[in-house]
Amino acid sequence: MKGEQQELMLRIIDLCESVKKRGLDPFDVEVREFFDRLRELLPKLQRQSELYLDIQAVLGLAEVVFQQEEWIKHKSSMLYLDPLLIMLKLHALSIRDLAEILVRAWHPIIDLECLSPTGIREAKEYWTNLPSLDERWRDLETTEIMTGEVARRELTRMGILSDEDFAVMLDKTWRELKDSVGDRGEMSYWDFISEKSFEDTVLKAWLVSFLVSYGYATLELRPLEEEIVLRPLSKPEKLEHVATFSIPISISREEWLRRRREHG
Amino acid sequence: MAEEREILELREKLARAAQLLLFKHHIQPGAKAWELKRALGREYREILKLLDAELGKLGLMVKHVSEGEKGSESDRYFVTLRGHPKLTEARTFGWRIDDMAMLTVALSHILAKGGKAQLKEVERVLEEKFPRWRIEATIDRFIRRGYLSEDDEGLLYIGWRTRAEIDQRALLGLLLGKEVEKPSEMKSESGADTKGEETKG
Repeated sequence: MKGEQQELMLRIIDLCESVKKRGLDPFDVEVREFFDRLRELLPKLQRQSELYLDIQAVLGLAEVVFQQEEWIKHKSSMLYLDPLLIMLKLHALSIRDLAEILVRAWHPIIDLECLSPTGIREAKEYWTNLPSLDERWRDLETTEIMTGEVARRELTRMGILSDEDFAVMLDKTWRELKDSVGDRGEMSYWDFISEKSFEDTVLKAWLVSFLVSYGYATLELRPLEEEIVLRPLSKPEKLEHVATFSIPISISREEWLRRRREHG
Repeated sequence: MAEEREILELREKLARAAQLLLFKHHIQPGAKAWELKRALGREYREILKLLDAELGKLGLMVKHVSEGEKGSESDRYFVTLRGHPKLTEARTFGWRIDDMAMLTVALSHILAKGGKAQLKEVERVLEEKFPRWRIEATIDRFIRRGYLSEDDEGLLYIGWRTRAEIDQRALLGLLLGKEVEKPSEMKSESGADTKGEETKG
């Protein structure tokens, strides 16, 4: 019974919202009937949340009555024409015809741009401080270099290409995370990313950020314990019904050193 | 002598009113009722009527747009064309035929829906005739220029510029194939008096 009561109130609230937001005909709402139902329900409501829903439903119905008034005003005005007829016309007319209609009902505003004394002062200042063309267009000393070929190994040495494909690196990190977690199902973020060198730690953190973004793992913040927990997923998932947000995690060399000292 | 002084004063006020309405001194063009009242005195409506008559000789008029309650201090006055431009002229104002057609569709749809419509719904109607990639950018431009306004729930409304520039009744009448009102009839409706005003909504 409690569930039914709540469902009715939620249904009323939703219906009223639809009238307000989606422009439904407010006369489709049986306002009187809903008020009668709410009146019957009121003595049975006990919890604060139920009373709150009741208030929301009553406010929603009041809004519908307001919308009905606006609807009548609009229908009685000269601007009211059957929406269906208008839609049919919009559909049938050519683009040129539609443009012609606008133009024939259009009385453009006339206004003039003017320069104020402040504007003139600013312009003068700009002109005085503007470097000459010679200064602005001063030739840069450049030498022409012909294009050539660079070996993949050379690019790797320069840090532009990685020996491993990014997808492979990601997959490797995901497997490593699953192995490290084992039966526990979760582990500390810092324990996982911590490596022997600071550069490798940052690289691991970077890869973990992709694991989380792509749905290979989830990240949970536990503010009271000051802990960040990583949970690998058995297969990549798109979390549709979960609120997602970005978490900036700062990794400084000092922080990395402190954690290495504490945890060996 | 006193009469001459009065005429001179009146001419000065007319010039001041023309400056206030024609020269852009805010983000929006035109002037608010309180500004005109401060500059021209309590009888500013009479001065505007005279200005409207003077501008009429040049094919222009004073347009009054009400911002809520009738006779509010925040009402706005603009100078607009008394008649309408030709389609070829409108294109020289920087308007594309497509843009004008899109505005007709958007405004007619909103007006048919009682003055507000879901943005998505308007986009869906526009998609029947225009490519999707142009629709979003064009609606954004209409909102920026004041032809449409949007609230945080994604509802589109008629914007301030539409209320000032577009004869909504004529727009719908023309759409349904009615004859447009003759210029002489429009003149009597759209002067600086209350006949030509349009209310917010």
